[in-house]
Amino acid sequence: MKPARALPGYVLPTVAGLLLVVAAVASLFLGRVNLSPADLIAGLASPHPNLAGLVVTELRLPRAVLAILVGGALGLAGAAMQGLLRNPLADPGLLGVSNGAALGAVISIYFGLAHVFPLATPLLGLAGAMGAGALTFAFGRGSTLTLILAGAAVSSLMSAFLAMALNFAPSPYAAYEMSVWMLGSLAEKSWDHILLAGPFILIGMAALATLGRSIDALTLGEAQAESLGFRIDRLRVIALVGVGLAVGAATSVVGSVSFIGLAAPHLVRPFVGYQPSRTLLPSTLLGAVLLLVADIGTRVIHTNTELRLGVITALIGAPFFFWLVVRLRKVAP
Amino acid sequence: MTLLTANGLTVRRGGRAIVDGVSFEIEGGAFVALVGPNGAGKSTLLSVLAGLLAPEAGEARLDGTPLARLDRRELARRRAYLPQNPRAEWPIATERLVALGLTPHLPAFGGLPGGWEPRLTDAIEACDLTAQRYQPATTLSGGELARAMLARALIGSPQVLIADEPISGLDPWHALDTVARLQGLAGAGKLVIAALHDLTLAARYSTHLLALREGRVAAFGPTGQVLDAALIRAVFDVDARIAGQGAQTLIDYRGPA
Amino acid sequence: MASALRSLVLVVAAFAVGGPVASAAGRAVPQRMMSTNVCTDLLLLELAPKSRIASVTFLAPEAARALFPGAADGIPLNHNSAEDVVNVRPDLILDSGLSTPLVRTLARQVGARVVDVKDANNFQDIRDVLRQVGDEIGERPRAEALIARMDATLAGLAADPPKKRLRVVAWSGGSAVPGKGSLTDAIITAAGAENIAARPGASESSFGVEELLTADPDALLFGGATLGQPSLLNDEGQHRVVRELYAGRRIAYSDIAHTCGLPQSADSAVALRRALAALPPKRAIR
Repeated sequence: MKPARALPGYVLPTVAGLLLVVAAVASLFLGRVNLSPADLIAGLASPHPNLAGLVVTELRLPRAVLAILVGGALGLAGAAMQGLLRNPLADPGLLGVSNGAALGAVISIYFGLAHVFPLATPLLGLAGAMGAGALTFAFGRGSTLTLILAGAAVSSLMSAFLAMALNFAPSPYAAYEMSVWMLGSLAEKSWDHILLAGPFILIGMAALATLGRSIDALTLGEAQAESLGFRIDRLRVIALVGVGLAVGAATSVVGSVSFIGLAAPHLVRPFVGYQPSRTLLPSTLLGAVLLLVADIGTRVIHTNTELRLGVITALIGAPFFFWLVVRLRKVAP
Repeated sequence: MTLLTANGLTVRRGGRAIVDGVSFEIEGGAFVALVGPNGAGKSTLLSVLAGLLAPEAGEARLDGTPLARLDRRELARRRAYLPQNPRAEWPIATERLVALGLTPHLPAFGGLPGGWEPRLTDAIEACDLTAQRYQPATTLSGGELARAMLARALIGSPQVLIADEPISGLDPWHALDTVARLQGLAGAGKLVIAALHDLTLAARYSTHLLALREGRVAAFGPTGQVLDAALIRAVFDVDARIAGQGAQTLIDYRGPA
Repeated sequence: MASALRSLVLVVAAFAVGGPVASAAGRAVPQRMMSTNVCTDLLLLELAPKSRIASVTFLAPEAARALFPGAADGIPLNHNSAEDVVNVRPDLILDSGLSTPLVRTLARQVGARVVDVKDANNFQDIRDVLRQVGDEIGERPRAEALIARMDATLAGLAADPPKKRLRVVAWSGGSAVPGKGSLTDAIITAAGAENIAARPGASESSFGVEELLTADPDALLFGGATLGQPSLLNDEGQHRVVRELYAGRRIAYSDIAHTCGLPQSADSAVALRRALAALPPKRAIR
């Protein structure tokens, strides 16, 4: 009896891809300023610089592209982590990388390094991510359990330093700005941000994409996967580097965005027969869709102060967790 | 003919020798029962023989080539390994679990040439799993999962099968079924090495016996010749009476020695 | 800095003429005055002689540097904590209402009088605050002199309005833009320009790049973080579109004169008017 929900391989990526296109186009038409589609199209067509054209090409388009990159990176990293750790609650932040990236970026901004040269913030964010990842690996190498524990330890260490940065902020405003930055935002991002972070995100994602077969083999446990020719220690390094680059670069540009990496693979898994390698591409696409939709939400929901991206993803993510628990209670004895 | 040789294999942990100078040589067409008390080093030895653990001293060779020098995928194609109490981490369909055994045969990109459908169906039928083919692997019963893991191990047609306690937790029917299959594999020319606790089944189905105590080889040779009450007392500290021989052997435990 | 020099000269003159007198309520003039927030720090430094100032906050030296450099040299610094109150033993504390209850309790215990000085959001507030503080510290004549100078400056601005009322916004990133009812708004108005963020409702609101482009102001004003330290606002203001479209049309202002209501806030309006007059013609983006 074929289980009802394992769909043919092309269905889910196609559906997710279509959703992504729809969301991306929608995000071009939605924003704080009401511009009718006709205006926007006329603006794009016109050879002279004009308001509508500028809004689309310099504001909304880079914002959409960045949302897709970041959302895709988070979704893929989440799927890879869950496959590697064989745990549906794994999340890219487990390796301490997200907090490391936040710390690096915050250090760059608040010690004024961002003014010395423009690449400072994403680069320091990346350095923070890789440093945190290296620390996790150094302490956690040996088994998957120690990796997770080391990741938790490094995460708390980074949080401690973040708190210290807040504590010793050079001015009272700076502390406020740091906290608000960490809530995550895609607002006012430009092509500059994409040029800086994009390559790292893409390289990291490429590394993670190679893990497909290995995470399938890990369904049998580490011993059998090794016997099938996979080197688990090498896989851990690839995962660390991939998550470090992709999630590190993404976090250093956009701030901390939660739940996408956790939720996307989860939503996708039942439709691919729970097979880890088949979750990778759909999680990437779905992550991008989720983040785009959340970002559209920050623009469309009218608030006086800017509604931050991380707030929306957290407000949606927490109920998702509750729903998970309820579902598990029904299924498990 | 496949040849597996072990020469002075030694593994230390925490200053203690878990495996201590193990040497033996065995050809394909044999079913070696690896026996010994708990903590004798059986699992560790099997890991070394499977090429998954590097010994501190000594080396194991497959057809003359040291395991350490074999390319990982090449080794994966030629030998299959089943650890103790294997489990499926995700509820994937049983057929997908079995198909994982073909991973070392896959080219860098894409699937198997000629498709893997026919081989998958054969493997599933050979292990009597047709009814469970599409069932999530995590819902299989103990016996069904054991057969599925075995199918996974055999689908790639390895020369060597190394199994660590393949019948632990199985009911009598499934235990008998499994050891009978292992015997059949040996009859077909493969080399099977399996750690077993059930000496009666070892006596009835295995062709050779490798007895381990405190990491050292206590005895190695054809089962009929090597397995006797003296060996059982020496290795297990247990008095036993052996009745019958060959397929009718019965090991009757009397009590601690 | 000419305006700062001018005010310094006036203060010295007032000192030479008046000298400390009994404060309005007939109390003895306080001799050990302490300030617990940066705005009252600056008021104190501007109005009182150093000898009577017992302590200013750690933020004062940096803040004073923009307006009257060196004014805070040699004065012990405090962190607006209860311990500081006990160490300094002031007889008067100028506070903005943000001190903890413990500070106030200890103030009572050491015999200090706590004076709450409100935030100034427009020039009338500045006058009220100056008079209040002047009274409390016994420097009313000097306060009046500063008010008179400020009023003269404002009158000068009002008497000679610019030909065209330019549209500006104080924008450095979009998450907090001073709107109607803020001091920046008052300064912009005094300079003869229109603050396009002066919408009815919140005095601070979100104003992203899209809104900025649509509103299409003539110039952008920006200050750094409150005390000239690096912060996120500096970084976010660098969106590529803003940089290109508003190159040469971004006017910097001294944060401190916009955050704290000081007589120098009027000078800020003068500087703004001058800068606006010097703007090149704008390139249209429609």
